[in-house]
Amino acid sequence: MSVQEILADENELTHLLGAQQAVVLSTRVRLARNLEGFPFPGWAKPAHRKEIAERCIEALTQLPRFRKSHVFKMGDLPDLDRAVLVERHLVSKELASGKSGAAVISRDQTCSVMVNEEDHLRIQVVKAGWHLRGTWNIAEQLDDAIGATLGIAFSDQLGFLTACPTNVGTGLRASAMVHLPGLCLAGHIEKVTRALSQDGLAVRGWLGEGTEAAGNIFQISNQQTLGLSEDAILRHLGGWVKTLVDQEWNARRKVAQEEGERFVDRLSRSLGLLRHARLLTSAESMNMLSHLRLACDMGCLPEERRHVVDRLMIEGQPAHVQARQGAELDSDGRDRRRATAVREALRDFPEVGSPTA
Amino acid sequence: MANPLKCSVCDAVATVHLTQIVQGKVTKVDFCEACAAKGGAGDAAVFKLADAVNAVTPAPAITCPQCGFTDIEFRRRGRLGCPSCWQVFGVALGGLLTKVQHEIQHVGRAPAGTVPVGQLRHRLLAAQLELTAAIAAEDYETAAKLRDEVARITTQLDTL
Repeated sequence: MSVQEILADENELTHLLGAQQAVVLSTRVRLARNLEGFPFPGWAKPAHRKEIAERCIEALTQLPRFRKSHVFKMGDLPDLDRAVLVERHLVSKELASGKSGAAVISRDQTCSVMVNEEDHLRIQVVKAGWHLRGTWNIAEQLDDAIGATLGIAFSDQLGFLTACPTNVGTGLRASAMVHLPGLCLAGHIEKVTRALSQDGLAVRGWLGEGTEAAGNIFQISNQQTLGLSEDAILRHLGGWVKTLVDQEWNARRKVAQEEGERFVDRLSRSLGLLRHARLLTSAESMNMLSHLRLACDMGCLPEERRHVVDRLMIEGQPAHVQARQGAELDSDGRDRRRATAVREALRDFPEVGSPTA
Repeated sequence: MANPLKCSVCDAVATVHLTQIVQGKVTKVDFCEACAAKGGAGDAAVFKLADAVNAVTPAPAITCPQCGFTDIEFRRRGRLGCPSCWQVFGVALGGLLTKVQHEIQHVGRAPAGTVPVGQLRHRLLAAQLELTAAIAAEDYETAAKLRDEVARITTQLDTL
C-alpha cells in the first residue's frame, strides 16, 4: 500500500469528468469521535495510543466502505508521502507531524478516517462539487457503523466528548471549498469574509487553518458544534454557500461586462503564460489556474476542461510535484517540473473566447 | 543600547531572567543560556531560587481521577485529558463553553444503538411550543398530532 497508488488512482476530485462544478470545488464533512475509557491522544501514553490505533484500524478495515482501503501509519511513511496526503486533504498537518497517528483511506479516496489526531477518530467524507446532503449521509452511515463496533464517548448533556471544547457536541465540521475569483476581482472579499465570520462561519485558505487563499480558493465551515442539531448546522452552512454562489456569479458577470475585452485578455494571458512558462512557482500557477477555472465556468473555455484545471491545482502542489518525479527537488527543480506538467496538460486547450455564461 | 545584563554565575550576557516575589520582597536573578540549562550549577543561591520558583508553582485545584489530568494542564493545552475529564471539569468549563459554543446542551445525534436524549428533549420543547401556538390558532388537527407527539416523547424519556 503506497502513496504512489493514491497519486495514480483516478478519483472524483482530480479525474472524474462531470463531477466538478462551477464555484464550489468540494464539500466536506468531518466528525470527531473518541473511544470510551481511553485518554485523548494528546494526553495518552504511547502504549495507550498504540492500543487505540490497533482497535480503530481493526474496526475500520472490517467496514464495507473500507474494503481494500489504504492504511497508512504516519511513523512508517517518508516525509514526502506524508506531505502528499496533507496536500490532498486526506490527513491534517497535525496528524502528519506526529509519529503515532494513522489514516484509513477508502479506495475511491472519498472517505478517510484519521486515527490518533487530536481525537481518537476523525471521520471525513469529501465529494467533488456541492453535495452537502449526500456527503452528510455517507458520514452518518460511517458514524453509525463505527459506533456499532466501538464504544464511543458520549454524554446526554454534552453530546460526543472531544479533546477540545470547540468540537464537543455534534463533533461536526461541515465545509465547502469555494472558488471566488469574481468577488476577489471586484474587491468584495473582505466584506464577505466579515459577514460570514459574524454569522458563526470560519473562512480559511486552501490548506485550512492559517493558510493563504491561493488561487482565490476559500474554505467555509461552521464553528459552533454544541447546542445545534446536525441538520441545523448543515442548513446554516448550506444557506450561506447558496448566497455566496449567487454573489460570486453576480460579481463575475459584472466584472466581465465592465471589463469587456480586458476580461478575456486577462484570462487569455494566463493561458498563454501557463502554456509557455518554463518555471512556474506554486503561487503563480494557482493564480493563473484560477483564471482558467473561471474561463471554464463562464464558457470562455469548454466546461469539460474544468477537471484538468482542478487536477493541475492539486498536482501542482510542492509535495505532489516531487512525488511524481520520485525524488526530492529544490525550488527551481520543482518550478521546472510543475511548468512541464502544466504545459503538457494544456497543450491541446483551445483559445479563450468571450463569456457565454 | 543599555548595558546587557550579566549572568549571575559566569558574567556572560544573560538571556534568562527570573523574578521571585515572596511576601512583597522582589529578588531578580539573570542567567546566560548555558548556566540556565545547568540550573546554575555550583551556586547555592541559584539553587535556592530555583527551589523557591518550583515551590510557588500553584497546586492543581482539580485532577481527573481517571487520567490524572489537571486544570493547570488544561490552561496550558486548551484540551482535556480523557472523556471523563468532561464530568470532572464540567463546572469549571461552563463559562468557557458558553463563550466558544454559546450553548451548553447537546441537541444532535447519539451513538448508534442509543436513545438520542438531547435530541428528544429538544424536540419535546419545540413540540410543546408548537402545540400552544396551534391551539391558539384553533388548528385542532395539528394540535392533536402535536399532543400525541408530546405524549410519545414524554413516555420515551420517562422509560429511560
